[in-house]
Amino acid sequence: MNMEKTYLIKGPVSQEIISKLIARMGVKTDCGGLMLFLGQVRADEIDGKKVKAIEYSAYEEMVFAEVEKIKKTILSEFEDAKSIEIIHSSGIVNAGEISLLVFISAGHRQQAMLACSKTVEMIKENLPVWKKEIFEDDSHHWK
Amino acid sequence: MEVKVLFFGVLAEVSGTPVKHYQDVRSMGDLKLKIQDDYPEIVHYNFRVSLNSEITDEDSTLKSGDEVAFMPPFAGG
Repeated sequence: MNMEKTYLIKGPVSQEIISKLIARMGVKTDCGGLMLFLGQVRADEIDGKKVKAIEYSAYEEMVFAEVEKIKKTILSEFEDAKSIEIIHSSGIVNAGEISLLVFISAGHRQQAMLACSKTVEMIKENLPVWKKEIFEDDSHHWK
Repeated sequence: MEVKVLFFGVLAEVSGTPVKHYQDVRSMGDLKLKIQDDYPEIVHYNFRVSLNSEITDEDSTLKSGDEVAFMPPFAGG
């Protein structure tokens, strides 16, 4: 299996990564609509305890295969979509930090927005990723 | 013959290890029974099983080098 390209990064998706991806889109002058979705770790409160971070674990090989499938599905379903970037965190991501990035470019806005929405839903449904919510007192809960 | 078994999420806590090797299991059904013997608590959890990174419900025959993963419901994003 070609594992050269990975869709998982250790820790949060940084502002630097996000800026670089946006800057790189500048060369795609056939695209008029760029849609960026960022998933952020929420400081949920459960039984009076506040989540301080999420520890993500993933089945790396299967994540690779599933992301490839999602990209193929989206690009065939939305003819106007030109490119898809997907990055998911593994390891610890603190509340307020970004754990998922989906970035779609398309010729026009409508397909960019629809394709982005469907990509996020497919990620939620199909990506073998698990999250352990870590509370301020260091106890945890599997979500 | 030896099969590699991966446990993810809460199931890695149930088994106490993310990876374990099983010898002489002929099928997925065999393997599931062995795992239930080793970790009776696992029956209280929802999970799906994959064979070599493909989700399967079938009682497939296993061969040496196969990788089986026990996976709780996905929770990405």
